[in-house]
Amino acid sequence: MSECDFMRESMPMLLTESLDPVRREHTHQHIEHCTACSDDWTAYQETWRVLEELPVVEVPARVKDRFLAQIAPPATLPSNVVPFTRRPALKWIAQAAAVVVIAGGSYFTGHRTKPVEIQRTPAQVTSVTPIGAPQSQFSIAESRVLPASLINPNIEGRPDIENVQFERASTNDEQITLAFDITSRVTVTGRPTDKSMVRLMRYVLENEDRLGPSRSRAIDWVKTTYSRPGNADPEIATALANVLRNDEHQGVRIKAVETLKTLQPSVGVSAADTRDALIEALKSDPNPAVRIKAVEALANLARTGAPLDTETLNTLRLKAGQDDENVYVRMKAAEALSNVKP
Amino acid sequence: MRIRALTAVLATFASAAAFAAVSVDNATRELPIDPTGTVLVSNAYGSIDVVGTDENKVSVTVQRIINGADDAAVAAGKDSIDTLFEGDPRVRLIKTIYPSVRDPRWSAIVNCTIRVPRTVSVKIVGGAMDHIRVAQILGNVTINAFSGTIILSNVGGASAVDTVNGRVIFDYPQRPTANVRVHAVNADIDVYAPRDSAFQWVAETLTGELLSTFDIRGLFTGNIYKGHANSAGGPTLTTSSLAGRVSLLAKGTPPTQARRFAQTVRSNERGGGAMPATRKIQIPFIYQQLWGFEANVADVAVGEIHGSAHIETGAGEVDIGVVWGNLIVNSGGGPLKFGDLLKPVDVHTDAGDVTIRVARQGGSASTDGGIIRVLYAGGPMTLRSGGGDIVVQQTAAPIDAVTTSGDISLTVSPTVKTQKMTAKTSQGNVALVVSPTFAADIDALVITGDADANTIRSDFNLTIRREAYNGKTRIRATGKINGGGERIELVAEDGSINISSQVIAPMVISNPRQ
Repeated sequence: MSECDFMRESMPMLLTESLDPVRREHTHQHIEHCTACSDDWTAYQETWRVLEELPVVEVPARVKDRFLAQIAPPATLPSNVVPFTRRPALKWIAQAAAVVVIAGGSYFTGHRTKPVEIQRTPAQVTSVTPIGAPQSQFSIAESRVLPASLINPNIEGRPDIENVQFERASTNDEQITLAFDITSRVTVTGRPTDKSMVRLMRYVLENEDRLGPSRSRAIDWVKTTYSRPGNADPEIATALANVLRNDEHQGVRIKAVETLKTLQPSVGVSAADTRDALIEALKSDPNPAVRIKAVEALANLARTGAPLDTETLNTLRLKAGQDDENVYVRMKAAEALSNVKP
Repeated sequence: MRIRALTAVLATFASAAAFAAVSVDNATRELPIDPTGTVLVSNAYGSIDVVGTDENKVSVTVQRIINGADDAAVAAGKDSIDTLFEGDPRVRLIKTIYPSVRDPRWSAIVNCTIRVPRTVSVKIVGGAMDHIRVAQILGNVTINAFSGTIILSNVGGASAVDTVNGRVIFDYPQRPTANVRVHAVNADIDVYAPRDSAFQWVAETLTGELLSTFDIRGLFTGNIYKGHANSAGGPTLTTSSLAGRVSLLAKGTPPTQARRFAQTVRSNERGGGAMPATRKIQIPFIYQQLWGFEANVADVAVGEIHGSAHIETGAGEVDIGVVWGNLIVNSGGGPLKFGDLLKPVDVHTDAGDVTIRVARQGGSASTDGGIIRVLYAGGPMTLRSGGGDIVVQQTAAPIDAVTTSGDISLTVSPTVKTQKMTAKTSQGNVALVVSPTFAADIDALVITGDADANTIRSDFNLTIRREAYNGKTRIRATGKINGGGERIELVAEDGSINISSQVIAPMVISNPRQ
């Protein structure tokens, strides 16, 4: 082995400052005088620097666990097992060898591969499809105002809507405005009866947790908007029924049942749903005000001549005769029953 | 021209009548039964007549009447309605089956006439009936129906009737010998018995009347009257109708001589005597230093009270326009609504909303469950709700508002430069609106499990601190606004606090006419 070969073997250890002082000094002197070894040493330094800049990749937990399981020493070593002793010098040699392999591989790849050249071909227009209106571009803005007609009535997933505000867009009350934060401030304007607006309103009413504080304000607003003749919508009634069933705030439930009372009686599934929610509230809501408003709503239903099913009649009958129920609730139940036309 | 039109209309009606069809058919069945057996009858629409005889069999005659738009509709009705005869000599069941969903093309009733041995027990389940009549039965009788006239005549065994609307009539040719229990919601109950009958009478009505021509001696315990006729002992007649009239009449005495048993309404306006139990008391004006009114169940509507008033109701709505003196109202349930209250008030309802338009000298208003709304508070007010919002649209005086669940909204009159306020809600938001020049020491506290959703927003510069507390977040905002003043304490759990500064128009309250 020539002196240069010996020096090249020492370079990784020199790089990691693992050589003893005498040998380190000797190696440095050789590199200063030997052009070939000087070039190699410069390449080693450059590769080492590049390796430092590479990102640290976290070992996957699965691999780590498997590795540790394999290398973990048993609790008691058998007598014929010789404990492994760390040899730092060999470790550094192995690291340096890895560096050499990577650097060499990169060098080889860089010089042997040619860039791919793509033949240029002229573009041709084969057909033209006219469009009716210019495509609206998605605007990146702090706030956006959208007409309800541009909103898809089907709300997908559970978007996190916050800071809901309700306004009247015009003085004639035909247009309403619903503003909220989603990823930016969005304001939707449309008629209360627009399907998108109804769906949005229903989502605001039914969406739990984060909308809790603003839900009572939402119900107030729904009451004033959808109690107007012509604005009633079964989906709003269903949403209110769900609030009446599920909201843990008594104050919110009171508002929900009061609003249900003011809405015009709906038909079909929504009517049955509303009635079921009212019955449930009358049967078991701990707040007497909720029960009062529920029984008043049922009395209103009976007064309008709406057919009441057996479940409703039985509940009203039960309430009228329930000695420990508030007398006013009993009276209202009796009043509702007196208006029933079987 | 008119004659032609009239002819056309008549022709139309005549042709419609010509197409309408009616079907009446009868069926008869005889079934053996033990003398101590039980007969069950179920029929939702029509009538049921059960008569006791000396025979040892059940004879049933079923008359089915179907009205239809045309013959096809009547045929459909015939196919849909059937009468079942089931059971054995111990228990016989006669049941009419109707379709669960009504066909609008036809309507039907079934009239059942059943002759049974007089010693059997009878159980009847009816719906919206024309009548149910049971006569000459010595066994027990149980009837459950929704509406119609129920007549029990010469029934010797114990009987129980449960119904909602209509009328219940007991006719005893002989002295009653067994217990009777009648429970109705809106139905009137009439019991006719020989003048020398001896029995205990337990009667209850909330909004109806208790009447009797018997010499009854007894007492009210709450809403329930307990007494006895002629002498102690004998069977117990329990008659309860929530909203109907209960009368117990001795045979041979005219109903006009009936004595009214009333504990339900008292008013000192009419000399302190008892007033007839009425659902609604409506008085336009009361000129009295102190008007006292006490009712078990009544809706009270008074236009103006030129003096003070003290109202106690077990249940009902209270609606008073103007009160010149102090006002005390205590209701067991029902909404309270007041207009202009010139002196301090103290109003409470166990359940229902409280609405006060103007409380010039403040006072207190509370509900165990319901919304409290005050349009204008001119004096200090204490407002308490067991669950519901508290809204004060404008106040010129201190407010102390606490609700178990609901929002509190207070707006301070711009005429007030500083004022003490307290608003606490255990579940809900607090909103305080003041004029830009209002001065106060603010102490606002939000306790929440969702610090992102619930927070304190203020138009004034306040010092806000956040800290973890028992798994929740406490957000506290303190500071002096406009140099400081009276203390304002706002607490919202699971809600937000919003303190806003707005230019507020002062509310102008006109004085009522003397």
